[in-house]
Amino acid sequence: MPNRGIYPKLINLFSLLLTLLFVYTATSKLIHLDTFQTRLERMPYISSYATLISWIVPFLELVIAGLLWFQKYRKVALYGSLVLLGVFTIYILVVLNYSDSIPCSCGGIISTLGWRAHILFNTTFMIMALLGIIWYHNDNIIQTHQNTT
Amino acid sequence: MRSNFLKLVLPAFAILLAVGLAFATEDNTIANEGYYLDDFGNWITVTVEPECFNGGQIACTSDGHQLYAEKSTSSFPLAKN
Repeated sequence: MPNRGIYPKLINLFSLLLTLLFVYTATSKLIHLDTFQTRLERMPYISSYATLISWIVPFLELVIAGLLWFQKYRKVALYGSLVLLGVFTIYILVVLNYSDSIPCSCGGIISTLGWRAHILFNTTFMIMALLGIIWYHNDNIIQTHQNTT
Repeated sequence: MRSNFLKLVLPAFAILLAVGLAFATEDNTIANEGYYLDDFGNWITVTVEPECFNGGQIACTSDGHQLYAEKSTSSFPLAKN
Protein backbone atom coordinates (compact mmCIF):
# COMPACT_ATOMS: atom_id res chain seq x y z
CA MET A 1 0.00 0.00 0.00
CA PRO A 2 1.52 3.33 -1.00
CA ASN A 3 2.23 5.92 1.64
CA ARG A 4 -0.15 8.79 0.90
CA GLY A 5 1.14 11.03 3.68
CA ILE A 6 -0.66 12.85 6.43
CA TYR A 7 -3.27 14.59 4.27
CA PRO A 8 -5.90 11.81 4.20
CA LYS A 9 -5.64 11.65 8.01
CA LEU A 10 -6.11 15.41 8.24
CA ILE A 11 -9.12 15.22 5.91
CA ASN A 12 -10.59 12.60 8.26
CA LEU A 13 -9.86 14.83 11.27
CA PHE A 14 -11.48 17.87 9.61
CA SER A 15 -14.47 15.76 8.59
CA LEU A 16 -14.75 14.59 12.19
CA LEU A 17 -14.68 18.16 13.54
CA LEU A 18 -17.16 19.39 10.93
CA THR A 19 -19.46 16.46 11.78
CA LEU A 20 -19.25 17.33 15.48
CA LEU A 21 -20.07 20.97 14.72
CA PHE A 22 -22.98 20.31 12.37
CA VAL A 23 -24.60 17.51 14.40
CA TYR A 24 -24.19 19.50 17.63
CA THR A 25 -25.70 22.72 16.25
CA ALA A 26 -28.44 20.91 14.31
CA THR A 27 -29.47 18.93 17.41
CA SER A 28 -29.44 22.07 19.58
CA LYS A 29 -31.62 23.87 17.03
CA LEU A 30 -34.06 20.98 16.79
CA ILE A 31 -34.29 20.61 20.61
CA HIS A 32 -35.30 24.30 20.80
CA LEU A 33 -37.01 24.60 17.43
CA ASP A 34 -39.53 27.17 18.74
CA THR A 35 -36.78 29.40 20.18
CA PHE A 36 -34.75 29.07 16.99
CA GLN A 37 -37.79 30.03 14.91
CA THR A 38 -38.57 33.01 17.18
CA ARG A 39 -34.98 34.26 16.90
CA LEU A 40 -35.11 33.96 13.11
CA GLU A 41 -38.38 35.91 13.04
CA ARG A 42 -36.58 38.80 14.77
CA MET A 43 -33.73 38.90 12.32
CA PRO A 44 -33.46 41.42 9.54
CA TYR A 45 -33.92 40.37 5.87
CA ILE A 46 -34.88 36.73 6.58
CA SER A 47 -37.76 37.06 9.08
CA SER A 48 -40.43 36.21 6.47
CA TYR A 49 -38.72 32.89 5.75
CA ALA A 50 -38.20 31.96 9.42
CA THR A 51 -40.28 28.74 9.38
CA LEU A 52 -38.67 27.46 6.20
CA ILE A 53 -35.13 28.34 7.33
CA SER A 54 -35.67 26.82 10.79
CA TRP A 55 -36.20 23.42 9.12
CA ILE A 56 -33.83 23.72 6.17
CA VAL A 57 -30.71 24.77 8.16
CA PRO A 58 -30.63 21.81 10.61
CA PHE A 59 -31.63 19.44 7.79
CA LEU A 60 -28.74 20.66 5.61
CA GLU A 61 -26.32 20.44 8.54
CA LEU A 62 -27.30 16.82 9.22
CA VAL A 63 -27.15 15.86 5.53
CA ILE A 64 -23.68 17.42 5.14
CA ALA A 65 -22.47 15.71 8.34
CA GLY A 66 -23.67 12.36 6.96
CA LEU A 67 -22.24 12.85 3.47
CA LEU A 68 -18.80 13.65 4.92
CA TRP A 69 -18.46 9.93 5.73
CA PHE A 70 -19.26 8.60 2.27
CA GLN A 71 -16.09 8.68 0.20
CA LYS A 72 -18.12 9.25 -2.96
CA TYR A 73 -19.80 12.37 -1.58
CA ARG A 74 -17.05 13.73 0.67
CA LYS A 75 -15.94 16.39 -1.79
CA VAL A 76 -19.53 17.62 -2.23
CA ALA A 77 -19.97 17.65 1.56
CA LEU A 78 -16.78 19.67 2.04
CA TYR A 79 -18.00 22.18 -0.55
CA GLY A 80 -21.39 22.21 1.19
CA SER A 81 -19.72 22.88 4.56
CA LEU A 82 -17.71 25.75 3.08
CA VAL A 83 -20.77 27.31 1.42
CA LEU A 84 -23.04 26.90 4.47
CA LEU A 85 -20.49 28.39 6.88
CA GLY A 86 -19.71 31.10 4.33
CA VAL A 87 -23.38 32.06 4.09
CA PHE A 88 -23.66 32.21 7.92
CA THR A 89 -20.53 34.38 8.16
CA ILE A 90 -21.54 36.76 5.35
CA TYR A 91 -24.98 37.12 6.94
CA ILE A 92 -23.43 38.00 10.32
CA LEU A 93 -21.11 40.55 8.67
CA VAL A 94 -23.99 42.13 6.74
CA VAL A 95 -26.26 42.32 9.79
CA LEU A 96 -23.48 43.75 11.97
CA ASN A 97 -23.51 46.82 9.71
CA TYR A 98 -27.13 47.25 10.70
CA SER A 99 -26.79 46.41 14.39
CA ASP A 100 -23.88 45.89 16.78
CA SER A 101 -25.77 43.25 18.73
CA ILE A 102 -25.07 39.70 17.72
CA PRO A 103 -27.81 38.37 15.46
CA CYS A 104 -27.07 34.84 16.57
CA SER A 105 -29.66 32.12 16.21
CA CYS A 106 -27.02 29.43 16.17
CA GLY A 107 -27.37 26.28 18.21
CA GLY A 108 -26.08 25.35 21.66
CA ILE A 109 -23.32 27.14 23.54
CA ILE A 110 -22.10 28.64 20.25
CA SER A 111 -24.92 31.18 20.63
CA THR A 112 -23.13 32.54 23.72
CA LEU A 113 -20.10 33.59 21.66
CA GLY A 114 -19.53 37.27 20.96
CA TRP A 115 -19.68 38.23 17.29
CA ARG A 116 -15.89 38.53 16.89
CA ALA A 117 -15.39 35.07 18.41
CA HIS A 118 -18.23 33.76 16.26
CA ILE A 119 -16.69 35.03 13.02
CA LEU A 120 -13.30 33.61 14.07
CA PHE A 121 -14.96 30.29 14.92
CA ASN A 122 -16.74 30.12 11.55
CA THR A 123 -13.58 31.15 9.69
CA THR A 124 -11.58 28.37 11.37
CA PHE A 125 -14.07 25.76 10.22
CA MET A 126 -14.24 27.32 6.74
CA ILE A 127 -10.43 27.02 6.48
CA MET A 128 -10.70 23.36 7.52
CA ALA A 129 -13.31 22.73 4.80
CA LEU A 130 -11.20 24.59 2.22
CA LEU A 131 -8.03 22.67 3.11
CA GLY A 132 -10.07 19.46 3.03
CA ILE A 133 -11.22 20.27 -0.53
CA ILE A 134 -7.69 21.12 -1.70
CA TRP A 135 -6.10 18.05 -0.12
CA TYR A 136 -8.91 15.78 -1.26
CA HIS A 137 -8.40 17.04 -4.81
CA ASN A 138 -4.60 16.56 -4.59
CA ASP A 139 -5.04 13.09 -3.05
CA ASN A 140 -7.31 12.07 -5.94
CA ILE A 141 -4.72 13.27 -8.48
CA ILE A 142 -2.00 11.21 -6.71
CA GLN A 143 -4.26 8.13 -6.59
CA THR A 144 -5.18 8.47 -10.28
CA HIS A 145 -1.50 8.90 -11.15
CA GLN A 146 -0.54 5.80 -9.11
CA ASN A 147 -3.31 3.75 -10.74
CA THR A 148 -2.20 4.68 -14.25
CA THR A 149 1.54 4.02 -13.72
CA MET B 1 -10.41 -3.47 10.54
CA ARG B 2 -8.83 -0.02 10.37
CA SER B 3 -11.03 0.86 7.42
CA ASN B 4 -14.14 -0.15 9.39
CA PHE B 5 -13.01 2.07 12.24
CA LEU B 6 -12.76 5.08 9.93
CA LYS B 7 -15.94 4.34 8.02
CA LEU B 8 -18.21 3.31 10.85
CA VAL B 9 -16.91 3.72 14.38
CA LEU B 10 -15.40 7.20 14.08
CA PRO B 11 -18.46 8.93 12.52
CA ALA B 12 -20.81 7.05 14.85
CA PHE B 13 -18.73 8.18 17.83
CA ALA B 14 -18.69 11.79 16.55
CA ILE B 15 -22.46 11.82 16.03
CA LEU B 16 -23.16 10.33 19.46
CA LEU B 17 -20.75 12.77 21.11
CA ALA B 18 -22.33 15.75 19.33
CA VAL B 19 -25.88 14.71 20.22
CA GLY B 20 -24.81 14.08 23.83
CA LEU B 21 -23.14 17.47 24.04
CA ALA B 22 -26.21 19.17 22.57
CA PHE B 23 -28.38 17.73 25.35
CA ALA B 24 -25.70 18.32 28.02
CA THR B 25 -25.40 22.03 27.19
CA GLU B 26 -29.14 22.50 26.74
CA ASP B 27 -29.40 24.74 29.82
CA ASN B 28 -26.75 27.13 28.52
CA THR B 29 -28.68 28.02 25.40
CA ILE B 30 -31.21 30.38 26.94
CA ALA B 31 -31.59 33.33 24.63
CA ASN B 32 -30.11 36.62 25.78
CA GLU B 33 -32.79 39.10 24.95
CA GLY B 34 -32.70 42.87 24.95
CA TYR B 35 -35.38 45.42 24.19
CA TYR B 36 -35.47 48.82 22.52
CA LEU B 37 -38.12 51.45 22.00
CA ASP B 38 -38.60 52.13 18.29
CA ASP B 39 -39.57 55.44 16.65
CA PHE B 40 -43.25 54.56 16.96
CA GLY B 41 -43.11 53.86 20.71
CA ASN B 42 -43.20 50.05 20.39
CA TRP B 43 -40.87 47.77 22.35
CA ILE B 44 -38.89 45.55 20.01
CA THR B 45 -37.21 42.36 21.29
CA VAL B 46 -33.82 41.40 19.85
CA THR B 47 -31.20 38.76 20.61
CA VAL B 48 -28.08 40.34 22.07
CA GLU B 49 -24.58 39.13 22.82
CA PRO B 50 -24.06 38.00 26.45
CA GLU B 51 -21.32 40.59 27.06
CA CYS B 52 -23.98 43.32 26.90
CA PHE B 53 -25.31 42.18 30.27
CA ASN B 54 -21.93 42.74 31.96
CA GLY B 55 -22.03 46.52 31.56
CA GLY B 56 -19.23 48.76 30.27
CA GLN B 57 -18.43 51.86 28.26
CA ILE B 58 -19.79 50.79 24.87
CA ALA B 59 -23.57 51.02 24.65
CA CYS B 60 -25.30 48.04 23.06
CA THR B 61 -27.64 49.26 20.37
CA SER B 62 -29.86 47.85 17.69
CA ASP B 63 -30.87 49.85 14.64
CA GLY B 64 -29.43 52.91 16.39
CA HIS B 65 -31.51 52.50 19.55
CA GLN B 66 -30.21 51.83 23.08
CA LEU B 67 -31.00 48.32 24.26
CA TYR B 68 -32.50 47.69 27.71
CA ALA B 69 -32.66 44.57 29.88
CA GLU B 70 -36.41 44.97 30.26
CA LYS B 71 -39.22 46.71 28.42
CA SER B 72 -38.68 49.92 30.34
CA THR B 73 -36.31 52.88 29.82
CA SER B 74 -35.67 52.86 33.57
CA SER B 75 -34.33 49.30 33.40
CA PHE B 76 -30.62 48.41 32.97
CA PRO B 77 -29.27 49.96 29.74
CA LEU B 78 -27.18 47.23 28.09
CA ALA B 79 -23.49 48.01 27.60
CA LYS B 80 -20.19 46.18 27.19
CA ASN B 81 -16.45 46.84 27.36
